[in-house]
Amino acid sequence: MDIVQIDNLSKNYGKVHALKQVNFSIPAGTVFGILGPNGSGKTTLLSIVMDVLKPNSGGVRLFGEKPSEFHRKQMGTLLETPNFYHYLSGEQNLRISAAIKGRGEKDIDKVLQIVDLLKRKNSPFSTYSLGMKQRLAIAAALLGDPEVLVFDEPTNGLDPVGIAEIRELIKKLSLQGKTIIMASHLLDEVEKVCTHVAILKQGTLVACGDVNEILVNEDIVELASNDVEALKVLCAKYPGTPEMAVSDSIIKLSFPAGKANLQDINRFCFDNGIVLSYLNLKKKSLESKFFELTN
Amino acid sequence: MKDLLKIEWLKIKNYKAFIILLVFFALGIFTANYIVFSVFKNMINESQATVLIGQFNPYDFTNTWQTTSYTAGFLLILPALLLIILVTNEYTYKTNKQNIIDGWSREQFVNVKMMLALLVAIFSTILVILTAIVFGFMSKTAFSFSGYSHVGFFFLKALSYNLLAVLISVWIRRTGFAIGIYFIYLGAENIISQLLDVWSIKLRNNHVIDLGSMGDYLPMNASDALLGFPDNPLKALAKNALPTDYFWVDVCLAVLYIILFYWLGRRNVIRKDL
Repeated sequence: MDIVQIDNLSKNYGKVHALKQVNFSIPAGTVFGILGPNGSGKTTLLSIVMDVLKPNSGGVRLFGEKPSEFHRKQMGTLLETPNFYHYLSGEQNLRISAAIKGRGEKDIDKVLQIVDLLKRKNSPFSTYSLGMKQRLAIAAALLGDPEVLVFDEPTNGLDPVGIAEIRELIKKLSLQGKTIIMASHLLDEVEKVCTHVAILKQGTLVACGDVNEILVNEDIVELASNDVEALKVLCAKYPGTPEMAVSDSIIKLSFPAGKANLQDINRFCFDNGIVLSYLNLKKKSLESKFFELTN
Repeated sequence: MKDLLKIEWLKIKNYKAFIILLVFFALGIFTANYIVFSVFKNMINESQATVLIGQFNPYDFTNTWQTTSYTAGFLLILPALLLIILVTNEYTYKTNKQNIIDGWSREQFVNVKMMLALLVAIFSTILVILTAIVFGFMSKTAFSFSGYSHVGFFFLKALSYNLLAVLISVWIRRTGFAIGIYFIYLGAENIISQLLDVWSIKLRNNHVIDLGSMGDYLPMNASDALLGFPDNPLKALAKNALPTDYFWVDVCLAVLYIILFYWLGRRNVIRKDL
């Protein structure tokens, strides 16, 4: 079953098109990353899913049904920023969240323990640091042990230890079979925890599917010689004719991951009368793949 | 609704501004009425005034309900202010979004605010009833429910002030701005109302068309018109020069405007981005 189904969703802010006819589904049990640079429409998309924003056209289905507050009660959500009553303590704020959800009141100490806020549970929210506010928001999402979790930039404001802890938490939750929907602009984060990914660029969906298919890694072989032009002509003849790019008199050949053989390339060049002055294998980073998709 | 109100109570019970404003309001109602009470008590002792107003006592039973309601009516801005702060705070701290995300529907969010406006109106009315009884007995008169209907009109007026506060809050969303707009609206409506009233008098005198005081047909003036100072010899003199008071038209309009405020507020929350 699809937990979330996005149908032809469009949203405008005046003349700005924040989302343009976006279509995709989030299957149950996946860790689904929504990836995109700042302003690509990630938060807008999740806000529409949670009925905080109204779409201009298209729609959303939750758990295969027309969305309602009952579906939202079954989801633990952290959207954009931690939103709490500044004059209430962390615990009092969670009590309100639990009361609205209609479950999870007994979990309050447990979730505060998970995010390491138990000691500060009686301090007013206004005295929390940015990272603590973020932790409280994560704790609120965990109330009532929901089957679906939505995290929008969950590691915002956290220190490196906090980031690692949240990553571990997400992995742990996914092992329990929960569906996790995570929006992020941090590729590293997505690569490390997500099973599926959708990539947005200026409100348009540019890619969607299994993370290993979409963000497939490539081997890049960099070569150089005294005669770049001759090397270029020769490389075009290399068996399998890999994709070629030239920058700063260095030629870059792309191979599927694990398929580049430097020995073979070196021999091929030498046998054809070109002596290489430089030969290097680089793993294509997720980052460059992301730039490729979003630029 | 009971569950929703319980949650609302969790939000406001630790909010100091809420308690402080309500205490100010309660003290204000008592103090304002005490001032009117003292003024009249002294007036009765002054010989010249006694000639004009005879044995009129605004706080004897039958009059006390109306006088207290009328005087307390001037303080209804305080609970309205409180409601504006409570509602716009939700927008400022984006907790309105969080409430929806956590599993309230938009209808529930706006209905609980409207219900809060109703409860504050009921609380204000209870304060008025208690104050009226205290001053009634202080006037050394026998208890009577005669004239009690004015308390009902006070309730309508309180509800009208409170619902306008909620409407402006969900519409404007920012605290300072919403408070400003609320006051500007009350002021502007009063000015227009006075102009309409002058026009109504002219119409009646020059063209013999008596449409009543048309200023009273505006949203907030409709409920203001339900409460006046009790009739007394001084007021009776002025009354002849004024257009007919179509009292029940004002009552119906006040109720209609209350429904309109609720409907507009609800529509705004349900349709707009949060």
